[in-house]
Parts: sequence; C-alpha cells; structure tokens
Amino acid sequence: MAADSVYKVIFEHEGVFIHPSSDEDGIEQDLLVSGSLRIIDKDGEIFVEYKPLEDAVDPSNMLCAGKDSSSVVEWTQCPGDKSHQMIETQQSYETEWDMINTVSFRKRPCPNGEGFLNHSHERSRWTLTFSVCELKSITVKEEGWTFLLCKLKEATTTIPALHFHHGGSNEFLDSLRHFVLLTESPDDTTCLLVTSPNKALSQSFENLLDDNSFGLVHKFKKDPYVTTLGGFSKVTNYIYDALRGTEEQHQRPPQEVADLLGEIIPGLEINQQEEPGFEVITRIDLGMRPQVTRRHPLSAEDWTKHQHPEGRMVNVPHLKHSIFKGGLCHAVRKEAWKFLLGYFPWESTLEERKALQRNKTDEYFRMKLQWKSVSEEQERRNSRLRDYRSLIEKDVNRTDRTNRFYEGIDNPGLALLHDILMTYCMYDFDLGYVQGMSDLLSPILYVMENEVDAFWCFVSFMDQMHQNFEEQMQGMKTQLIQLSTLLRLLDLAFWNYLESQDSGYLYFCFRWLLIRFKRELSFQDVLRLWEVMWTGLPCQNFHLLVCCAILDSEKQKIVEENYGFNEILKHINELSMKLDIEEILQKAESLCLQIKTCKDLPHSVSVILGLDTLDPCGSPAPRPTQCLDTCCKGHLRETSHNSCKVAFMS
Amino acid sequence: MTTKTSLLKVILLGDGGVGKSSIMNRYVTNKFDAHLFHTIGVEFLNKDLEVDHHQVTLQIWDTAGQERFRSLRTPFYRGSDCCLLTFSVDDNQSFLNLGNWKKEFIYYADVKEPEKFPFVVLGNKVDVTERQVSTEEAQRWCQENGDYPYYETSAKDATNVAVAFEEAVRRVLAMDERTDHLIPTDTVKLHRKPRSAVACCS
Repeated sequence: MAADSVYKVIFEHEGVFIHPSSDEDGIEQDLLVSGSLRIIDKDGEIFVEYKPLEDAVDPSNMLCAGKDSSSVVEWTQCPGDKSHQMIETQQSYETEWDMINTVSFRKRPCPNGEGFLNHSHERSRWTLTFSVCELKSITVKEEGWTFLLCKLKEATTTIPALHFHHGGSNEFLDSLRHFVLLTESPDDTTCLLVTSPNKALSQSFENLLDDNSFGLVHKFKKDPYVTTLGGFSKVTNYIYDALRGTEEQHQRPPQEVADLLGEIIPGLEINQQEEPGFEVITRIDLGMRPQVTRRHPLSAEDWTKHQHPEGRMVNVPHLKHSIFKGGLCHAVRKEAWKFLLGYFPWESTLEERKALQRNKTDEYFRMKLQWKSVSEEQERRNSRLRDYRSLIEKDVNRTDRTNRFYEGIDNPGLALLHDILMTYCMYDFDLGYVQGMSDLLSPILYVMENEVDAFWCFVSFMDQMHQNFEEQMQGMKTQLIQLSTLLRLLDLAFWNYLESQDSGYLYFCFRWLLIRFKRELSFQDVLRLWEVMWTGLPCQNFHLLVCCAILDSEKQKIVEENYGFNEILKHINELSMKLDIEEILQKAESLCLQIKTCKDLPHSVSVILGLDTLDPCGSPAPRPTQCLDTCCKGHLRETSHNSCKVAFMS
Repeated sequence: MTTKTSLLKVILLGDGGVGKSSIMNRYVTNKFDAHLFHTIGVEFLNKDLEVDHHQVTLQIWDTAGQERFRSLRTPFYRGSDCCLLTFSVDDNQSFLNLGNWKKEFIYYADVKEPEKFPFVVLGNKVDVTERQVSTEEAQRWCQENGDYPYYETSAKDATNVAVAFEEAVRRVLAMDERTDHLIPTDTVKLHRKPRSAVACCS
C-alpha cells in the first residue's frame, strides 16, 4: 500500500510561534512568526517540521492555516464551532499529505539562521525541518507559556525557540516520545536528552501499521485507540531494539508470549464498556505530589475509646481513618478485623455479636460436617471434591511454613487451614479451591486463632476477591486493565516504555493482584497492608495505587537497565520480601491525593477510584469529552483508506 | 576466536505439587526448601552451563500447575526449546496427567513438528518410600509416547537433577546444529530481551 514516497503527518499543532527578535526580554508582537509544527513520517524517517503561515501573526487566522504555500489544501472557512473546524482542517491536511509528494523538505537549517533564508519568499525563511535523529536535546522553558529550545547534535546549527502560545508542547513531546527516548538531563531537569534510533533499523510507521502479523488494520477497525497505541509502541520497540543492537535478533518468544497475553487480557475493553466512544488519556498535568505522613498503629486503648459500653462502635469514620493512617496494634486485630471485614456490623452490640457468632458457629459446623461425612466410596465418584481435597492438602503444606503458627509437622495450624479451606468448598462449591486462597486465609487464621471466626472473615475477604479466582479470571483481567489506566495517567512515559517492551498490560503484577501482595511482603507487613486496605480509604481500589507506588519506585531501574519483557517479570518477581510497607503506603496515599486534586481527571479514572461518589460536593468529575475538547486535539478516526494514519494522542 | 553461547528456553510442566519449583531451585541454586510456597503466576531462573563444549544459558520457566491458571500460563510456552514433563512417583494421578500436559504444551507452544520436539520426562520425589508409579511404568510411557529420555529425580537429595537438565540440553543441541542460536559471547547480553528486530519488517 505504501507509495514510493509517503508523507504522514503524525502530529500537528498550529499556533506555534517563533520570536525572530527574541532578545529574551521584549517580544515585539508584530514580529512574531506563527506557524504549525508537525511531526512527519517521510518514508519511514521521522522529521520535525515547522512552517510559518503565509500571513500569520493574527491569531484569528490560526485555525485556518492551510494557505501554506507548500500545500494545495483549500477549504472554505465557515464560522462556527472552533474545535470542529480544527478537526476539519487537520483532516484536509492529512488527505493532501497523502497525495502530494511535491512538498520540498529542506535538509536542515543552516548555521546562524542564514540557511533559513529563502530569497524568493521572506516567510519561508522560518521554515525548518530536521530529522529527529539529529536532535540532541530539548529544553522546556516556561514564560507564561511554554517554549522549547531544540538543540541539534551538530552544535553549530541553532534552531529558534518554538513558543507554544496556544499550548500543545506536552502533546508534541509525547508524540515525539513514540520515536525517540527523552530522558531528563541529570544536570538540568528542564532539559530532555534525546536518544534516537539507529537509522538502519528505523521502521516505517506505515509498514508497521500494515503488518499483517499484528493484524493491526483489522484490529483498528474494531478498536482504533488501543490499536494505534499499540502500533506506536511497536515503533518504539524497534527503537529500543535498535539502541540495543542486533545481536539477539534470532529469538522473539517474548514478543509472541506478550501478543498471546494481550489476547487473553483484551486491552482496555473495560474502558470502552464503561463509556461509549473512546477516551484518550492524554498527558494531564497532575501537579505536585503532596507529602503525607504515616501514624502510629491504633492502640487497644484507642480502640476501646471508640466502643460504646453496649459494644457499638462509635465515630467509625474517625476510627477507620486512624486505622488507615497507622494500622492496628496486633492486640486489637483479632477484634477489629471482624469489623473491617464486615463479619461484625459496626453498629452491633456485644449481645448481638454473641448471637451472631452462635449462629455462624452452627452454620460452619453444618458445612464442615458435609465434607467430613463423605465416605471414601462417595469421594471416589466425586472427582471435583477429590481434586479440591488433593490440592488443598498439597498447598496447606506449602503455605507460610516458616511462620510459627504453621511450622513443623502436625502443627494444629495446618489442620485448621485445611479444614477451613475444605469447608469453604462446601460454602461455595462452584468456586471450590483455587491456588492462592490458602495465602489469603493464612494471615486471617493467624490473627483470629479461631476456626469459626477465621472462616467467616475469610468468607468476607473472598467476597472481595472472588472474581480473581473465577474460571475466566475476570477479576484479574479487570484489575490489570484498571491498573494500566491508572499508570497511564500517572506516568505515561513509563507506561509507554513498558508497552514498548510488550509489558503494557502489566502481566508482571499478576501475583500482586491475585493475592493482594501476600507473597511480596513479610507476614507482619501483609497484616498491616490488609487492615489499611480494608478501611476502604482513601478511595476505592486503593490497592491499585499501591501497585503504582511500587512501580514508581522501580521504574528508574527498569528504564535505566533497559529491561525487556523477561527481565521486567523477573525483576518484579524478585522484589518479593524487599519492599518497605510504610514507604509504599505513604507513596500510594500521596498518589491518591495528587489524583484527587486533578481537575481534568478522565472519567475512567474517577470510576476506578470511586471518586465520583466520594466527592463531597456531589459534582461529577469532568467528562472525558471536555478533556478531549479543551486540553488536546487528539482525535480518533479512520480515514478513507485504512492506513489508520493519525489517531494520535497529542 | 569468539566462543558461542546458546540461550535455551526450557519449561517445566506438570501437576501442582510434583516439585517443579523445587527441581528448578535445586538445579540453579543447589538448595532445597521443603516448605517452598506453591508457585503463583510464572517465574524463571537462568543457569549457565557447558555441555559437550557448548556454552549454554538455560532459561528455566516454572508455572502454576492448576487448571484454572491455564490461560495465563500457556502464552509462556511460546519459544520453548525443550519441555520437561514432570510427575511425582508418589502421585499416580500426576503420572496419568503427563499426556494432557504434553498435549497442552504442543498446542500452545505452537510446535511445528511435535514428533520431533525434545521432551524429557522427570519422575520426581524418588526419595519417598511409598511409590505409586513404578520405574517400568514410567519408562513404558516414555517409550510409547515418543521415546523420551526418562529420569527419576529427587530435588530433595539432588538425585539426577543436573543430569536431566544436561540431557535436555543435549537433545536440543542434537535437534540441529542450532546455528540460529549461536551468537558471539562477547556481545551477548543475556539479560537483555532477545527479540527480532527484523522479523516483522516484511
């Protein structure tokens, strides 16, 4: 499908200015040059191009920049909705860019600006084009608006500062990140160092999107946003591979593995179910991450203070908040967990709880008797029960055996673990026993030291975790997708890196999510994390922010070491028992606060964290459409020939 | 002169509790922990060794055995050079399931010529006294299913573990000269992700 010479506009932003007389202080309005900045794929090589408008300056012309001398695009400017007009503009442009190959590209700007001079056309003097491979660094400056100082590797060449009076610098940089690696300079945080791909391996954007092995064109029809994102990251893949050299180009299992996983965890479908149409999570300025402090665990005395003489718990929100901030002293856990897990209602009296326990004890032993009374003969004809029992026996012997409660041979703790899991099979025979459940029960039994209480608390916990263990593992898929959504909001660059390494669906977090970090933390830290989570504070799905917090701490290592699919998995697996729970909780809480203060929060994120309902004013979070209209011009569409050209998140 | 190193992906499959993780840990770290957790998800370890003057890095993959986790386990079968079908000699059911594991592997690993693919069969836990599967039974199964090498192992006392892995490597190397796996050692970074940069450019 690709023509001999193909231009593709990958990014375009109008209203980018050059200040010809830029002596730092004064800007003479009438000397401003206005134009459009584009990222272009020209036969597989990526260029940044700036073209001034013929008679720019007047910002009202900004929306109809098509009089550019090099383009034959013409359209009638109709009054009306500006954003609508904008999209039309871009569409027209793009169609033309596909068909017209006569646009001349200047090789590069010459030193001292002399080379910009086009004697026949004063305005063209400011036209500039350079390959992204020539970029050395981009410095981001603020002056009421953002302007970018691009430096080329060839130090003698200077590029005039590009002033984004109408915003769009972040979108430009994000788009650029699909083709080059931008890393903060250690000396200057405003300076992004550019690492560009090996040209020999740079891959035509269009070829990639056409590549049938990815079925992208087909997928694009169904799912333009996701597919295009994937397509972009495939480009990034080649870039990382190119940087890494070609020594290992003989094997591609990780990518095949990842592609298969991607089919099993259908990326982002949940988002689309939640909202018709598409939501582009653009780079949103989240602002500063607030500092938070953790507190001491709640003491027995504090707990008692919250208990009415009759036994009702009072001032529960305050109590929960204290537990969220510091956890519980171990002595309080046995009682407090029953409330946190919902086995005991907060408002119940002592009397009521005693009655409840009596009933629940009867119910427990009735179910226990059911499996206890199955004869060998019966069991021989009940393969499911047999399989559950066999696996429970195996796993009980492999759960927390170094903990004093479960260590040694014939420890009573082991028998209790076994009996409760078997009874749970009777309670929920459809689910039965699934590996991981013994991990969830073990800490509860350890704290309760009582078979019946442990069982019912486990039942409550399983109510929350049930979907993780179901046949289709829908809970796992949903969580991985939600986590991916959050991570893209919090750290798009890192998510892009992971995606470029076929790890964007975050499979490596599987164990974290399946059993709520049970294997990642020391036993005592698991107790702390779980009681904090069970408060339901400070937002819904807080455990996903815990994931983000851990990833935030690991991202530097992962990116710096340029870890691929396998190494990321290995690195995350090996974090087990090396994590600091208080540090993680602190960071996760501050991520939550940071997100809560964000004004342009995508709707999907509000839904995941339950922020719509927690909003004290009851005002709904801004709809994603607003965000699309105001903070980005990213648009998703399919153009006439299905080359799925530009569905960019700008 | 540059020496050549092969990166071989080996996967351990078998019922839950037959000792897959213990075999891997015994081989790679030479340790045995009777109270090791059951595996959740997938894990892998690397081990360098030399077999018949070939430098090899084995990437040994270990998975959760329960049926429920199949969909999230099977993608990792792709690209395996060898499959170690594992059962426990004190668990007849795990032996009976070998055929299912073999089928699952062939299907999901997308093996082109299943009859030629190098499987190695491990009967683990020979240290236990109450056997449910005899050596003869196991050998017969191996003969009838493709003449697979059979090793009776004990991760606990290290019996035959290294030998079995070395045999796996020999089988893979014997498949062909594995020229497509041979890459100069001085440039190879085995911690880097192997990935084709050219395979998708067609």
